This record gives sequence, C-alpha cells and structure tokens, in this order.
Amino acid sequence: MFYAQLIVNGLVQGLIVGLAALAVTLVFGVARFANAATGDTMTFGAYAALIGHKATGSLVVAGGAAVGATALLSLTVYALVFRKLAGRSVVALLVTSIGVGFLLRSVLGIVFGHNQQLFTVPLVRPIRFNGLIINPFDLQLAAVAAVALVGVFLVLYATPIGRRMRAVADNRELALVSGIRPERVMIALWLLVGAVTGVAGMMLGMKTIVSPELGWEMLLPAFAAAILGGIGSPVGAVLAGLLLGVAQELSTPFVGFTYKLSISFVVLLLVLLVRPRGLFGRLEGVR
Amino acid sequence: MEAYLVAIAIVALIYVLLALGLTLQYGFTGLINFGHVGFFAIGAYTSAILAMNGLPLVLSFAAGTIVAGLAAWPIGLIALRLRDDYFAIVTLGFSETVRLVITSEKWLTNGVQGIPAIPRMFAGISVGSLASFAVLAVLLVVTIVAILGMGRIVKSPFGRIIEAIRDNEDAVKALGKDPARFKVQVLILGSGLAGLAGAFYAHYITYIVPDQFIPLVTFYVWMAIIIGGVGRVSGAVVGTVLLMVLLEGSRFIRDVMPFISDVEMASVRLGVIGLLLILFTIYRPQGLMGDFTRR
Repeated sequence: MFYAQLIVNGLVQGLIVGLAALAVTLVFGVARFANAATGDTMTFGAYAALIGHKATGSLVVAGGAAVGATALLSLTVYALVFRKLAGRSVVALLVTSIGVGFLLRSVLGIVFGHNQQLFTVPLVRPIRFNGLIINPFDLQLAAVAAVALVGVFLVLYATPIGRRMRAVADNRELALVSGIRPERVMIALWLLVGAVTGVAGMMLGMKTIVSPELGWEMLLPAFAAAILGGIGSPVGAVLAGLLLGVAQELSTPFVGFTYKLSISFVVLLLVLLVRPRGLFGRLEGVR
Repeated sequence: MEAYLVAIAIVALIYVLLALGLTLQYGFTGLINFGHVGFFAIGAYTSAILAMNGLPLVLSFAAGTIVAGLAAWPIGLIALRLRDDYFAIVTLGFSETVRLVITSEKWLTNGVQGIPAIPRMFAGISVGSLASFAVLAVLLVVTIVAILGMGRIVKSPFGRIIEAIRDNEDAVKALGKDPARFKVQVLILGSGLAGLAGAFYAHYITYIVPDQFIPLVTFYVWMAIIIGGVGRVSGAVVGTVLLMVLLEGSRFIRDVMPFISDVEMASVRLGVIGLLLILFTIYRPQGLMGDFTRR
C-alpha cells in the first residue's frame, strides 16, 4: 500500500516531467538542439500563473496567463536569439540556450525577488480510496496536464501545421523541397513549445514553491525523460516522464530524499548505454 | 589594497587553470564539457579532506589532481561514444550528481555545513601578506608550467590528432587512429587541471561548501574561453581576466550603490553572464583573441 501511495504521488510529478520532456523533445526533433533554457522558461510560466492567480484567484485564468505569456516569451526568444543561429553548430545553440536560461532566471530574480512564493489554494479533504490518499487538487492538475497533452497531440497530428512540423522533424531537406515554409513551422513550434513549457511550469509551481531557481532543477529530469522516451518522440517523452516521476518517488525510501534527484542521471546513463534510441525512438539510432 | 589585488590575482589564476583545462577539452578537442565544476569540486574536497587528516599539502594537492583526473576516466569511457550534445548533458548531470553526493555524504564532507578551517598553504610563514605572496608565486609558476605544457601538447603529434578530431573526426578514424582513446586522455588531463585548481581553491579560501560548486561556475569558465577566443591559450587567459573584472567589478558597484542587495547583485551577475554568452555566440563566435578577419 505504501508503494502504491508512492506511485500515485509519482504520477503527478511524472506528468510535470513528461510535459517538460515533451517541450525538450519537440525542440530537439524540429530545431535540432537540446534546449537548456527549458527549465528557466518553466519558471517564467510559474510566475505568470502566480500573477494571474493572485489577480483573479481563478486557476483557469492562471493557466491562461501561463500558457499565453510563456508562448509569447518562447516566440520572442526564437526571433531574437535562436533564429540568428540557424545552421550553426550544436555547441553554439547549446551554449546560447544556457545563456538564455541564465538571463531569464536573472530577470525573474530581479523583478520578483528571491522570496519563495506560494499558490494559495484552498485546502480540500483528500479522497480516500481503498486506503490510498488522493488529493483532489492533484486530480485537477492531472486534468490540466491531460488537456494540455490532448491539445498538443491534436496540433501535432490533426492540423496541417502539425503535419508540416512532423515533416520537418522527419527530414528537413525533403520537407523544404516539398514547399514547406520553415519559418512558419518554426513560429508554430516555438509557440507550441512555449505553451507546453508554461503549463509544466505552472504545475510545478503549484506542487512546490515558486522561486527563481524552480525550473533549473527540472532540466536534468526533462532531458533524461526526453532521451528515455526516444528523442523526437512526443508520446515517448510523456510516457518516459511518467516512468521517471514514479521511479523517483519509489526510490526515495531506498536512497533518501537528496539522491532521488540523481535517479534521472542514472536513468540517462543507462538508456544511453543500453538503448540510445530510447523506448520509442525511430528517428535516429545515433547516440 | 595590495592584499586585495593579491587575493584577486590568486582567484584569477585559479580560474585560468580551469579555463586551460576546458580549452584543452573544448578548444582543442571539441569536447563539450558542461560539468567542469564537478572535477573542480572533486579536487577541492579530496585535497581538503586528506589535508584535514594530516596529509602534507604537497601530497594532498597531488591526490586532488589525480582523483579528479581518474573521475573523468569512467565518464569518458561512457560518454565519449555519445553525440556532442548528449555528452554535454551527461557531463552536466555528472557535476550535479557530484554536488548531491557532497551534500548528502555528511560523514565524509560534512554536508551543507561544509569543511571549515582547511589548512592554509605556507602556514609556517607567520606574516599574512607574505604567505599570500608565496601562494601567488606558486600558482603563477604552476600556471606558467601549465601554459607551456599546453603549448608543447598542441605542437606535438598528440596535439595535431586532437585538433584533427575537433575538425573532422571521421577523417581521423579513416587514418587508423582511435579518437575515443585520445578523447579520454584529453578529458583526464583537463579534469586533472580542474582538480588542481580545486585544491588551490580549497586551501586558499580555507572553507568549502557544496554551494560553491554549482553549474554556474562551469559557465563562468565557458564564458571566459568564449569571450577570449576558443582554442587559444591566450584566449583562455584574456577571457579569465575579463571574467574577473566582471565578477570583482560588480563588488565595487555595490560600494557605489549600497541599496542593491547581495542576492540582487548575484542575479545581475547571472544575467550579465547569460547575455554575454548569447551575444558572443551570435556576433563574435571566434572571441576577442580569435581571427579578426573572419566572422
């Protein structure tokens, strides 16, 4: 029963990791680099949600603020920074994304200060189900994540722009030859990635405490989940995120609270050594 | 003022050692090491712990260097078969894991409280400023030896191969050389240098806590070599000097504007580092000491 409880706790955490990994894997698949600014962009989303929530008290408004503001931020960063680096080496993009992350964290720290802030959500009596304790708030968060995921997959698999995005991810040259405009695909990509990152940031902020360092800690789990799921595979990223979240919680009784964070590093190493394609990777067998 | 300048010079030289290690790894061989601070931490903690248990400093410094270099070995074996960006992620994860280990293993590292009162270098010299000068002199000699050594390495057949690996790994393979072996060697050398820098740091500052070894330090060094010019020893030195001006200059800004708090200043520093990383990569990827004729 104890372990079942840990699994339930891990699932919510896993949804957050999964959303972050989805953002990482989308950028990796289409724009072809590991976006190290993902974590700090999540922090931005958390603060946007916090402002929306404080102003109105409504979680829906908070979610809207997180999605809208983070999507805009993501597009701005693309237009100002990443677009200028098209065709440059992997290092250039990696280092720049680290720089973007630092800059974001710095601005958030200056504007909002380093005091830890909390979402004030009403306390609700937890639901008991066969001895399992389930917080209704977690159910709401899970519903939010589910809506976000359905949205992303609809865009990816049921709209023309999603089809073009997948085409560029699959074979960039072929996509360009077929008359797909890369600029439009990139704009759509960064808006979508921003929205997903915003939702992930809001959920993380609601589960924990909002501070400028909030998102950075999620970067490694997000990378690990993206690679475990198979880089460029959206479904894989989400499932791997869930797996990782549960694995982290389940490991806590054995390795202690601090080392739970290093689980993602171990998973990362194991996947890269044993199955670099990840669980669902088909794009690249290269490691 | 004199004591202050000596103190800055010592810290600057420690960063030069770190930058030289990264120049060897990234500048010459093209290894994207995002976990440099992990090896710095291993050197610092190894030397500090051994010295606290009575080992002479010469031996503890050597141990710090060797342990940091050896720590790079398994990482190299595992990670060097990976693509560039995966290597970056793995090394970043490694340095964070090192920080978790030194935070958690209280019996060895005293956890978040850190290790206070680490033995100083030249503790026998009772005049404080003279001891600092002695530390500076030793560091200067070590740095010059490291710079000359790197010059030798770069001109040697070994140096030609590692530069060839950076420029075209497949061509090196076609010539019958095994890039992975050279990469592991470079990784060990550079990490050993970082470990040595860590030992100097621990015994100069005399107090180490896990929070001194955050990834930001790695990117201080990255910023230094990117600003200075990647793949040039002179670039590593010039970049580090600029980094020190930036880090120390921000301290003076606080003297002029005391209303800025410590944490705010840390945020500003972080932002400046981030901005410089972005601007230099976009507009001047070859750095200040790089070739001025090409963009």
